Amino acid sequence: MTAAALNRRALLAASATLPFLRIPAVRAATPGLLTFGLSSYPPTLQPWANGGTASSTIKLMIHRGLTSFSRDGNPQPELAESWSRDDEKTWVFKLRDARFHNGEKVTAADVQWTFDQIADEKSTAYFRAEMQRIAKVEAPDARTVRLVTKQPLVTVPNWLANFHMPIVSRSSPKGSPIGAGPFVPKGQERGVSIDLERFDAYYKPGLPKLKAIRAIAYADENLRLAALRSGDVDLIEYVPWQAMDAIAGDPALKLDAVDGPFMYLVFNGSRPPFNDARVRRAVAHAIKREELVKAAFFGRGSPLEHLPISESSSFYNADFKNGWHYDPDLSKRLLAEAGHGGGLSCSLLSTAQYGMHKDSAEIVQQHLAAVGINATLNLPDWATRVNLGNRGQYEIGIMGNTAESNDPDGLAAVLDGSLAASYVRSFGLKIDSIIELMEAGRTSFDEAKRRTIYRNLEQVAIDQAPIVGLTWRSQGYAMRKDVAGFSNFPGALTFYSGETFETTTTA
Amino acid sequence: MLSFAARRLAVAALLVWAVASLVFLVIHLIPGDPAELLLAQGGVAPDPDSVAALREKLGLDQPLWVQYRDHLASLLHADFGLSMVDEHPIGAEIALRLPRTLELVGLAGLLATLIGLPLGILAALTIGRLPDRILSAAAGLALSVPVFVVGTLAVLVLAQQLHWVPAGGYVPLAKDPLRHFILVLMPAATIALGLAAAVLRVTRSAVLEVLERDHVRAAQARGLPPVTIVRRHVLRNALMPVVTVLALHLGSLLGGTVLVEFVFNYPGLSGYLVRAVEARDYPEVTAIVLVISALFVLLNLLIDLCYVLIDPRVRHG
Amino acid sequence: MQKLLMPGLLLTVIVAAALLAPVLPLPDPVRQDVGARLAGPSLAHWAGQDEYGRDVLARLVWGARVSLSVAFAASFLAAIAGMFLGVLGGYFRGLVELATVRAAEVVLCFPPLLLALLVVTLLGPGADTLIFCLAILFAPGFARVAYAETLATRNLDYVTAQTSLGTPTVRILMRTLLPNIAAPLIVQFSLTIAAALLLESGLSFLGLGVVPPAPSWGLMIRSARATMEQAPLLLVWPCLALSGTVLILNLLCDRLRDVLDPRGSRARPGFLRTLAALPSKRATSMPTASGLLSVRGLTLEAPGPHGPIPVVRGVEFDVAPGETVAIVGESGSGKTLTGLAIMGLLPPAISVVSGEIVLSSRSGQQLDILRLREREIRALRGGDIAMVFQDPSSSLNPLHRTGSPIAESLRAHGNPGHRVTELLRRVGLPDPSRAARAYPHELSGGQRQRVMIATAIANHPRLLVADEPTTALDVTVQAQILDLLSDLKRSDQGMGMIFVSHNLAVVSEIADRVVVMYAGQVVEQGPAAEVFAHPHHPYTAALIASTPEDDIDRLATIAGAVPQPWALPQGCSFAPRCGHATPGCESQAPELFRHGERRAARCLRWREFA
Repeated sequence: MTAAALNRRALLAASATLPFLRIPAVRAATPGLLTFGLSSYPPTLQPWANGGTASSTIKLMIHRGLTSFSRDGNPQPELAESWSRDDEKTWVFKLRDARFHNGEKVTAADVQWTFDQIADEKSTAYFRAEMQRIAKVEAPDARTVRLVTKQPLVTVPNWLANFHMPIVSRSSPKGSPIGAGPFVPKGQERGVSIDLERFDAYYKPGLPKLKAIRAIAYADENLRLAALRSGDVDLIEYVPWQAMDAIAGDPALKLDAVDGPFMYLVFNGSRPPFNDARVRRAVAHAIKREELVKAAFFGRGSPLEHLPISESSSFYNADFKNGWHYDPDLSKRLLAEAGHGGGLSCSLLSTAQYGMHKDSAEIVQQHLAAVGINATLNLPDWATRVNLGNRGQYEIGIMGNTAESNDPDGLAAVLDGSLAASYVRSFGLKIDSIIELMEAGRTSFDEAKRRTIYRNLEQVAIDQAPIVGLTWRSQGYAMRKDVAGFSNFPGALTFYSGETFETTTTA
Repeated sequence: MLSFAARRLAVAALLVWAVASLVFLVIHLIPGDPAELLLAQGGVAPDPDSVAALREKLGLDQPLWVQYRDHLASLLHADFGLSMVDEHPIGAEIALRLPRTLELVGLAGLLATLIGLPLGILAALTIGRLPDRILSAAAGLALSVPVFVVGTLAVLVLAQQLHWVPAGGYVPLAKDPLRHFILVLMPAATIALGLAAAVLRVTRSAVLEVLERDHVRAAQARGLPPVTIVRRHVLRNALMPVVTVLALHLGSLLGGTVLVEFVFNYPGLSGYLVRAVEARDYPEVTAIVLVISALFVLLNLLIDLCYVLIDPRVRHG
Repeated sequence: MQKLLMPGLLLTVIVAAALLAPVLPLPDPVRQDVGARLAGPSLAHWAGQDEYGRDVLARLVWGARVSLSVAFAASFLAAIAGMFLGVLGGYFRGLVELATVRAAEVVLCFPPLLLALLVVTLLGPGADTLIFCLAILFAPGFARVAYAETLATRNLDYVTAQTSLGTPTVRILMRTLLPNIAAPLIVQFSLTIAAALLLESGLSFLGLGVVPPAPSWGLMIRSARATMEQAPLLLVWPCLALSGTVLILNLLCDRLRDVLDPRGSRARPGFLRTLAALPSKRATSMPTASGLLSVRGLTLEAPGPHGPIPVVRGVEFDVAPGETVAIVGESGSGKTLTGLAIMGLLPPAISVVSGEIVLSSRSGQQLDILRLREREIRALRGGDIAMVFQDPSSSLNPLHRTGSPIAESLRAHGNPGHRVTELLRRVGLPDPSRAARAYPHELSGGQRQRVMIATAIANHPRLLVADEPTTALDVTVQAQILDLLSDLKRSDQGMGMIFVSHNLAVVSEIADRVVVMYAGQVVEQGPAAEVFAHPHHPYTAALIASTPEDDIDRLATIAGAVPQPWALPQGCSFAPRCGHATPGCESQAPELFRHGERRAARCLRWREFA
């Protein structure tokens, strides 16, 4: 260590004596330009396809949907200045006077065209399947859109607020969709950076406040952090958990972190032993979640011993708070009941590509071992992990995710066993009551009734453990002190924080 | 001589084809496919119909041999095709990134030679004495500290603490020459550290070997001063193994700067390749590997050319 | 072998620690204690605790087990596979070579990390995959080394002989080739282990390495990098372990190379430092020799396993201006070392124990070569004294045109460089200006030796040392070169020559006087004609007897061999091979008996032969 210390001192001394060596490393501050450190380069910017969180953030700069999420998590008017329901199946959206980047007005025809594109047979849109629920989209006049669903669908405004549902101009050239968002893409260097400029005709007066945004991808979290600290970038996403304390204590920086995404376990329910709910529950009670939060997320998160419904949600059930509490004796009893008193061996699928997945797997493995479940880690790259998950070639899997919205229906992707096999949910595990309750909750407009439905659903989930919650994890943005107007959205909506770029300013 | 060159070229082309075909096969064999992955970004469950639609659009529903045939056909037209992920032309992307990788690797090679060669000679001439011991130990140390540690430390100290340099990235030369140079220099120096150690070691042993040769003793017997002997009769003769080792290293660096690119956010070819493999972007992977192996073969031909320049015997033999 | 002790011992300690990890009193390397995560060193945890609160020391030791076994296993596999391919390809050549060595080189075309990425993705991560992957990556290196060495070895006489005797190919490969190529392969092996250790860390960093929670150094470095600001020590430990092990392996490898191939361990003298071979005497005690050169009591030693070994013992002779003195003896007699000592070009391993070599220089000074500074001797070399070496093909730098050494020699001694063609003409090259521009490999052996001679005489040396100048040449060319040398002597009056040779027929043609050496000593000297007519020493007699007129190259007919310098007989060195030896010869070492002015012999019974 002395050598390193000496070295360091020598370097510092050299830096003092050679001030002329201070080359203009720090970005010459261009007024109104914000540089944003992304965690990865968006693989695609197609408006309706899913391209991951970085892609969604950029899409929120370029595009706007009929609705959007407000800070409290509820849908609010966006391109539609208002909406109403004619009956249980018919929604009417009134468009406001907004313009696309090409200067044309946003009309009902554009909305209609957008829906057609998403529903197209060849479409790769994320919500293509959802479109099956839509009976027709009508445009009675240029400013009015009528949406008719096949069944009652309470989540339509939530759905339309999704970043995979932006409205795109019908006169867009093929391959370069034109949006109506606050920023216009000006150029990109693939794999490196994306440049965006203020859209002067954005419908919200006085917004956006920034002149331009430059989003640069920093895949290495250490480097992303160093770029923020050295002044290369103003704002970063995916703040590494180990650095959150240091950033919070740094007078030049500020941290905006919320518990939003969650980590959980999925099972292969198509074969023993995890087709037995008792074994899945045994797993649920075997995990000491405080340690997971501490070791995998440096204390930045909280234990998740129930379904991932946020405490702030009106659907939160306090009595299930510790539904899957840590109780190794109970675990052992459940295992014994299921005929695995002598312990069992299985595989635990995760990925070495992402630290949080790998770390969670290492800790879960230890906790499972303590109750007699001998899990062998399988840590392939992410692509292989996705593939193995989709094909059910695993027994327990570690996953991280966010709900699609703060509405409990947003958990359908994770819980609904009637959907196609996917690595995000347990494989081959259809629990009829959950499927039914999900459907019931989706089609009911009565708030109190829905609360009961989702309460029952959580009860079933706690007993059946179709997934097992592990932890909420903190999702953080860090920025220089002079960046204002940007804020992290709560809970499941953290990845919608990109909406606030329109109000962001930098000194 | 001409038929020899023709044969060399034919073998080289065959080699490149073999490598590209092997990679094509392997990348299709490994689990995961681009359609599934692209739509499953960020931990969401894609609609299986969307995946199927994308697969069809990308031609992934065709039998493997049809895909291979089409792939070869387009290659014959010097067309690398489009990325499966975002339909970006692959040829253009390679044309953009290859010069950066060549610049990085070239600069690293230059630095390594400038440092390793003279120090290697010094070590050989002082064999067993203090300078040799210090240099050999330092070379061993430089060889054994992983580049991602060195790189991260460099960023931590130079960028984060001292604010001397930007924290990685890339700026085109035309935009800001000084910043461009600094941004290339950082990763290049990190690579050069280990490479210089390798050059030092091979120079040392090559010089020692040449020092033992009769013509050096004959030169001494002519009363030449040591500087002249080293310059005229040791260095050039010792250069062959040094060139060979350096070229081999540089060759493997063409696609092997992954770690350094990652640590410094340098948008070169290796990172592109790794991302292509991670996204299972088949045409990208095969195209990049094709380019890299072709370059490697070309580099080997260049080494042979170097031999000819260095050694008249090769020229006439 | 002593040189191997240190690195060998250190490596043994590391390997032993790795092997004994299960029985060492260490905590469980995978047991987590999240409460004490990132804790610094304590009594219970000497190297601290990692991000899960696991004991770092235990993980280091267990990590050594994983990392080293991966590296060893991969290198071993690579060595076996590479050796197999290389030996087969090198021995059979042709199609087999294409299918083995060239095929292995396809791997070299892959970027190593891509290969690893593909292999690991295909087979799934884990220690086994890692070993397999590293083995593939390193096998071509072994194949190359084995191939090159096999090519070199298969042309050696004894291998060719075995082939012609009909020994089965497999046996030749196993018995003869393998032991011969073992040395470079062992060196390659230790290099590969070091490289494998490093690559393991790189692959682990990318998540392509060992699967957690099993500790490996690479994994430890990877996870410590994330917390390097909170707990820098976590990064230091595995890096130290890795660097230390690689350093030790490199050291072992260097030493191993020295032991297996001792040639590489020496360097020429006179580089970067000047050596005075012996402390200088007071000027007054300098003997004044009337002749050109006077060698007195020259005693040289070489290092041996049990202390220094005398290789040249009390050699004395004189050279007069214009005189040709031949030093004759079998190989190992010390004649070449004597010649090199006169040039001040002794190998660094040889030390001068005592003696004087006094040269009366052109400037009229009496200089003791053994006591001059390197810089002073350098002024003499190529000037007052010049040397012609045995093998002209290796003594010329293959990369320089043949005129270049001559020009160098001229310039080094302040003479204009334009005399090159003149000198080449002088040594009888037919087209001197073209020869000056030719490369050595374009000339014949005889022509090359003429170039060497031209280089040697460029500055009109007072003394020319010719060390077996004709041995490497064809018989007919030998005669031409001898003619050239006698010719030069005739035309350059006053140039003395020392002609070192084992070949009496050649010596009888050119020498004025003969000095016969045996086992590092002068056994007889005298005028050439007299010595050849009436040898006083049985060894000289045997030498002459064994040299038929027409076959110049047969000395081996004297029964027995020259005694090794570290096993000299107590009495006369030649006694064990001497047909005239008496019991007295075996107990008493004879002195050099002078006989008249000009003759001397080191034999108790010389009178009987005189």
